[in-house]
Amino acid sequence: MSTTKASIDSGHATLGKAVAVCGSLLLMLLVVLLIASVVGSQRLPLASSLCALTGRSSCGLSPEQQAILFDIRLPRILLAGAVGICLATAGAGYQALLRNPLAEPYLLGISNGAAVGTMIALVFFGVHEWSRPIMAFVGALTATFLVYRLARGRAGATPERLILAGVIVTTFLSSAIVFITTLMDATRIRSFTFWLLGDLSGTTSSLLLVTFVTAGTGVAVLALNARSLNLMMLGERDAFDLGVEVGRVRITVFVAASLLVGASVASSGSVGYVGLVVPHLVRLSFGSDNRIVIVASALAGAAFVILADTVARTIIAPRELPVGAITALIGAPLFVYLLKRR
Amino acid sequence: MDEDGRQVTLPVKIQRIVSLAPNLTEIVYAVGAGDRLVGNTEYCDYPAEAKNIAKIGDTMHPSVERIIALKPQIVLVSTASQLEAFTQQLNQQRIAVYVTNPRSLDEIFRSITVLGDLFGQSEQAALVAAALRKRAEAVETKISGLKPFSVFYQVSGEPLYTIGHDAYLTDLVRRAGGISVTASVPGAFPRYSDESALAARPEAIILPTGGSMGSANATAAGPLRNSPAVLNGRVYRINDDHLSRPGPRLVDGLEEMARALHPEAFE
Repeated sequence: MSTTKASIDSGHATLGKAVAVCGSLLLMLLVVLLIASVVGSQRLPLASSLCALTGRSSCGLSPEQQAILFDIRLPRILLAGAVGICLATAGAGYQALLRNPLAEPYLLGISNGAAVGTMIALVFFGVHEWSRPIMAFVGALTATFLVYRLARGRAGATPERLILAGVIVTTFLSSAIVFITTLMDATRIRSFTFWLLGDLSGTTSSLLLVTFVTAGTGVAVLALNARSLNLMMLGERDAFDLGVEVGRVRITVFVAASLLVGASVASSGSVGYVGLVVPHLVRLSFGSDNRIVIVASALAGAAFVILADTVARTIIAPRELPVGAITALIGAPLFVYLLKRR
Repeated sequence: MDEDGRQVTLPVKIQRIVSLAPNLTEIVYAVGAGDRLVGNTEYCDYPAEAKNIAKIGDTMHPSVERIIALKPQIVLVSTASQLEAFTQQLNQQRIAVYVTNPRSLDEIFRSITVLGDLFGQSEQAALVAAALRKRAEAVETKISGLKPFSVFYQVSGEPLYTIGHDAYLTDLVRRAGGISVTASVPGAFPRYSDESALAARPEAIILPTGGSMGSANATAAGPLRNSPAVLNGRVYRINDDHLSRPGPRLVDGLEEMARALHPEAFE
């Protein structure tokens, strides 16, 4: 009882802290956004770009430079941000619900589930705008429940069991992906191998809209369940005794997190490690109260993927790398470091 | 010695050939050794007889078992699909593997003569190569003195792939009276930045499409929408089979590209 009381009593203090944390992360996101918009494979005049970004006038940029900035670079940055929000928040949600710090959409095979869904949509429904996100969501949700069922032994879901279940689901779905790509025309394979590692180029405004609406909805739903998740981290039994509708919260969080992963994979493929690295850094910096972790992960996740994609599109310009290669390159060593430091 | 610098030991008279790429199949027929071709890939559809040859899978996923069962004396591989372990397995079976790796039209002519020599068809191969060279030179004579166009060669639109420094197609664009705007980009088929494509402002765009590509890659990618090429209607669709297969029909591709870029020279 004491914990609940404490968490209710400290409500005021938490609000203050949340405002401070979100404020500083928003500021960081703004800086990252600015850096990402003035860096690219094409050099644009810095002062004019910054001036043009305020939207008042062209500020001396040529029509072609404006097109680079507003038609190519900004939509891509926005998509990177949306993908970051989706993956980092989903990661935070899975970690709280499964009480497992290693739970991550990519490592649990949930991204692969969404990828299989997207590929099925592409093979059977063609390029219909909405079929991709919907099928990706269905795939992610199926993979989530599969992992969850596999992980729950008689002794409950231990962290090791969960990771093993994730490995099984990941490898099974990877085989399914290989199977589908082999069946497809040779001309489409190249674009798929790139997409599977995460590709943020060539986005459309409708896809951006879908991703942002889903990201906003998902984050809101998870944030509204943050207090219940806090209590469930003590143990589902205790949470139930304290009046948390454990079953309802579990379903809600699973569906919301799957929705987030689905939206992100449908728009940009599988970008790994975001859901692992970002919530970890957030918890290390600001503590593990989910009321803060979820929203802070959303903001920090956006900044992380935007930065990673800025590296991906500039480091070997005018050629490009898939953004997933960069997030994994940053994510895997950072994760090892975090594990060692514990 | 093959084009990958590997030493290849070959029987004196080659009777059984397997080809792992459509361009190599076309070369085998062109030099008059088609009757000795015992296996090829599902992509090998030219000339028409090639369709009736035993299929060993596709270029990326050939079946080693089927190849060995066909008892070839030589297997022709194009680097685009070269597989290290696969080559080793065939060598263990005492099957020679010959790797081609052309980076220019001249090197393709050389592949034709070398393969002709290997199959004891030197005379016909020399004739074929000479005829092709003559057609290529005729194109160059026709367009000489004309101002070259800057060209963007779109291998695929989404995601955007183009031709780089090492591609034989960069050489082909130059011979057809163009300058590839991506000629200095490292690699053969690089993934290209949307921003750089937009900034390149090409005067003409080449879209390899049709043929085995079907209707894919038939429109210019989004970032090229406002390029001078699109605004002035200089977007040219050319049969992908004539461009993506570095074999005899590449000269057809050269003629089609030159005709598209400089129609006035062919009146």
